[in-house]
Amino acid sequence: MSKLLNKPFKAFTIYALIILACSIPVYYWVVDFIWMNELDEHNQIIKEGIENSFKKSQIEETELNSILKNWNKLQPGSTLTPSNLSATKADSTYTVEHISAYPGDETIDRFRGLSSYISINGKLYHLQVETNVEETAETMLAITVVTLLFFVLLVIGFIVLNKQIAKKIWQPFRNTLEKLKSFDLTARQTVLFDKTDIEEFEELNQSLQKLIDKNISVYTQQKTFIENASHELQTPLAVLKSKMNLLLQNKDITSEQSEILSAVELPVARITRINKNLLLLAKIENSQFAEVENIELTEVVNETNELLNDYITAKQITVVKSLSQKLSVVCNKTLLEILINNLLINAIVHNTREGVIQVEFSGRTLTVSNTGKTALNNEKLFERFAVSSSQTASSGLGLAIIKEICNRYGWQIQYAFQNNLHSFTVTF
Amino acid sequence: MKILIVEDEKELVEDIAKYLSGENYLCEVATTYEQAAEKIWVYDYDCILLDLMLPGGSGLQLLELLKKQNKQDGVIIISAQNSVEDKVKGLQMGADDYLEKPFHHSELAARVHSLIRRKQFNSSNIIQQNEIMIDLLGKNVKVNDVELSLTKKEFELLLLFTGNKNRVISKAAIAEHISGDIADMFDNYDFVYAHVKNLKKKLAEAGCDNYLKTIYGTGYKWEI
Repeated sequence: MSKLLNKPFKAFTIYALIILACSIPVYYWVVDFIWMNELDEHNQIIKEGIENSFKKSQIEETELNSILKNWNKLQPGSTLTPSNLSATKADSTYTVEHISAYPGDETIDRFRGLSSYISINGKLYHLQVETNVEETAETMLAITVVTLLFFVLLVIGFIVLNKQIAKKIWQPFRNTLEKLKSFDLTARQTVLFDKTDIEEFEELNQSLQKLIDKNISVYTQQKTFIENASHELQTPLAVLKSKMNLLLQNKDITSEQSEILSAVELPVARITRINKNLLLLAKIENSQFAEVENIELTEVVNETNELLNDYITAKQITVVKSLSQKLSVVCNKTLLEILINNLLINAIVHNTREGVIQVEFSGRTLTVSNTGKTALNNEKLFERFAVSSSQTASSGLGLAIIKEICNRYGWQIQYAFQNNLHSFTVTF
Repeated sequence: MKILIVEDEKELVEDIAKYLSGENYLCEVATTYEQAAEKIWVYDYDCILLDLMLPGGSGLQLLELLKKQNKQDGVIIISAQNSVEDKVKGLQMGADDYLEKPFHHSELAARVHSLIRRKQFNSSNIIQQNEIMIDLLGKNVKVNDVELSLTKKEFELLLLFTGNKNRVISKAAIAEHISGDIADMFDNYDFVYAHVKNLKKKLAEAGCDNYLKTIYGTGYKWEI
């Protein structure tokens, strides 16, 4: 995955490279063309100067010949020789490469020349003016070097600008992303995005805001529904229990009827249990149980153990406690009691007859293990009604409540199955 | 002895009244806040069973009313709210006990019984049933003047039975009486049998008549 801004950056760089590469021959042609034009003009001016001064000075032919001899020797850049042609010819230009005519310079140079015919004293002379011009390769090289230099500058500029722009322009986007990452639906707290002057991001923020608000509202509705539903169930349940109680007191009741009545008692107890737990979950989720205090965990564990003693002995379960260490927790007392209760109740209900329960402290963790046969599905374990079945006394909510309490205080709850032991570890 | 039941669910009110009437209580009923306020104003009750959510007002307001009038009526809150806050608030405002709905009638009867005892006999709080004498304050039991050594749970059990004479008490109700809310979380009440058996044995050894009858498959009954 590459960053969003790096994609156009790559394309821009390649485009700049192509354009700059194409510009090298174009620059060369333009520079060469200007060179040639300027030199032709320059040669023309020299020619005209020579022609004029000869015309003005009125030199004799013999004297002229000796002057020309010396002239051609001393000024090899412009040669004047008598021509055999009978009539004058139009001026022409040419480009040659040869060793410089001046003595002492042995390198081959490029020259721009003008070939012209002038008449002095009625006689036709051939005038050649040559001026040094930069070689093709040298021009090309200079242009390429300069272009490359600019290309490097361009790329460096791109990188710097890209970084700067990315930092500035994408800041609101990163802010939004941060807020989304830390959003927690169960907290039911809407997200307030920072205002931005970039239209697209503002639009994104507004859409997200709407989406989040809608989600929270739906979530809250669902929660309220569950809460209300379980509240509404309370009274009919109370009436049902009450009627069963009265029926039990009936003197004319047969033993068969009384057995049916007892059989009904269990499912009714189970509905009551589920309902109570649903209400409890709703209360925890609604952030009730706000008061916190410093509580010694060992005490709570011992009290709970005491409370559950009847159920433990009824199943002939052995409880092994290693609570040597002190562990104090700051939280709501009721919630902590519910947490420990549920952990231990779970360990009793899902235990085998004559099984074992181990309660251990180590560091800031509490582990409650109990004898079991097969591992549970770790993924769904803490979901509501995930492990519930009509065969067990479980309300299917015990672990969900544990999880909810742990979430409230940022504690970790983990499940493991080892050596035929289900173990739940809470890290405080 | 007069009891006022303040509860808006008619069915529930009737059942409670019916159950408690058998215990020689005179039950009156109020189903709205207005009715309850009026009755509290005019009469004195030994015990008031108070629901917190009422048409026309809250049970907590009635508690305030009682306090203003300096009434000494015993109050047991019966509420479906199941909120710790309400419980604490109610008890702070002068209620004597708090029972969560749904509850077993036997549990309610036992609580009413012990509340009335507490209110009436402040110093010598003793329940006498034939040869059995229970001292609520001293928490001891004598049969024919011989003291029994009962565990705390057996003592609680005996109170439940004596507070529900000639009534069938289900095992679930007994379990809840002994271990409270936690009993809700279990389907198995086997331990009830063990406690009842021990109590029975201790009573018999002290020469007590066998009042405690087992009702097959359902529970127990204190026949007297």
